[in-house]
Amino acid sequence: MEGLSRVGPQGSSRLLRRAPLLAAALVALLAGLWAGLLRLGFDLPPLRSNLAELHGPLLVLGFLGTQIGLERAVALRRRPPWPYLAPVGAAAGAVWLLVGLPTTVGQLLLALGGGVLCAVFVAVHRIDPTWHNAVMGLGAVAWTAGAIVWLNDDEVARAVPFLAAFLVLTIVGERLELSRMRRPTRTARAALLLAIALFGSGVILTLPDPELGIRLAGAGLLAQAAWLARYDVARRTVRMSGVTRYMAVALLAAYWWLAVAGAFWLSSGELLGGGFTYDAMVHTVFLGFVFSMVFAHAPVIVPAVLGVALPYRRAMYGPLVLLHAGLLLRVLGDLGENVTAWRWGGALDETAILAFLALAAGSALRARRPSSPG
Amino acid sequence: MANGAPGLAALTEEPSPELVRELLHGVIDPELGIDIVELGLLREATVEAGVARIRFIVTTPACPLSTYIEDEIHACLAQAPGLRHVLVQSELEPPWSPEEMSESARRALGWRD
Repeated sequence: MEGLSRVGPQGSSRLLRRAPLLAAALVALLAGLWAGLLRLGFDLPPLRSNLAELHGPLLVLGFLGTQIGLERAVALRRRPPWPYLAPVGAAAGAVWLLVGLPTTVGQLLLALGGGVLCAVFVAVHRIDPTWHNAVMGLGAVAWTAGAIVWLNDDEVARAVPFLAAFLVLTIVGERLELSRMRRPTRTARAALLLAIALFGSGVILTLPDPELGIRLAGAGLLAQAAWLARYDVARRTVRMSGVTRYMAVALLAAYWWLAVAGAFWLSSGELLGGGFTYDAMVHTVFLGFVFSMVFAHAPVIVPAVLGVALPYRRAMYGPLVLLHAGLLLRVLGDLGENVTAWRWGGALDETAILAFLALAAGSALRARRPSSPG
Repeated sequence: MANGAPGLAALTEEPSPELVRELLHGVIDPELGIDIVELGLLREATVEAGVARIRFIVTTPACPLSTYIEDEIHACLAQAPGLRHVLVQSELEPPWSPEEMSESARRALGWRD
């Protein structure tokens, strides 16, 4: 193929251009995980005074906000590249908070990132005005609202329903989009939109009436989980092989945890109580649903966003199983108020995330493609 | 150019658009296990003077997979003899519709008519 000139794949330069954002997202992830260990009661250096309180914002907005913002900026390909301000806001806000500069500015940067993502979805909607894009756009609104709620009320727990809504609506919007390939009926699509409306109303209602809001949102989570389990393409693709089956397995496991989360939210109605129930409510969503999705999509998203090939390996099932086993142990600990099970379940989950990261980095290094002559 | 070597001329001739299209069946959406041709994401594949021009779309403007698909298209067409350039363009509009999927893709995803 000598003399073949190629236009397009510029993986190395793509990686270099996005390296600062990647580095900031990784710092947010690692600091968030460290903060998680502190919250689990492990005797570790606190690194800075309020690190444990930053656990949720660092992981949800700092790490996942940067990642999701980057995905949309890559997708939209605008010149000038203003959509990149969304991941830049998330990354800068996370680093700002970690460095220990005034918290308010860090929170504002995070809110700014969410605001830019809302603008990204306005642009997307102009091109393709569909329900699925609108639902993903509502996820961006929830990100922004969550950052503002946290800014106004120093209690992170008040913002948690909004942070959960950011990720749940983003993911459910994506799944609604892909579900078109199975051609659900109008009634089925309307049922999902109703479930989303129920969830969204509940999240907003947590501001004036936390208990009622959480219960309504829980009913919405349950309904969305049931819909996804029934209509998602994963039900078909789990019969395939290789990476397709791996992704489907991770997706179906995620839907199971979303249903468990819905049951916890619906039955407890607790938001600010802290303790074991709150732990189960939060981590069934963020670990069981969201991180299972992250593990599922890494072999596709990493090459798309960073220009680094990440070939599927069967070993990826290892961290995935560990993630779900750890969460099961943790939730059983929550239900039985068993500190040991809760703590070590949490530690297993962190191990699963780090193991997946190490596996992905190893796979990517082994599969490095020669850079294109461009 | 072939200098009489049997078969060499055929190897250095530019491939037909049909062959290019055939090769693009190798670009698979990992999540669905179905290729971009069957999914109806390929909008155009032409070959002229050793230059292949490929236009494709993703299923929504919010989908970041266009760069992944671009890379896979380049990797697939690297096998095609007689190509000097491969120009790949991803588009955002007009939006894709599930009706653009082939019969076999529809069957694989469980459509019932």
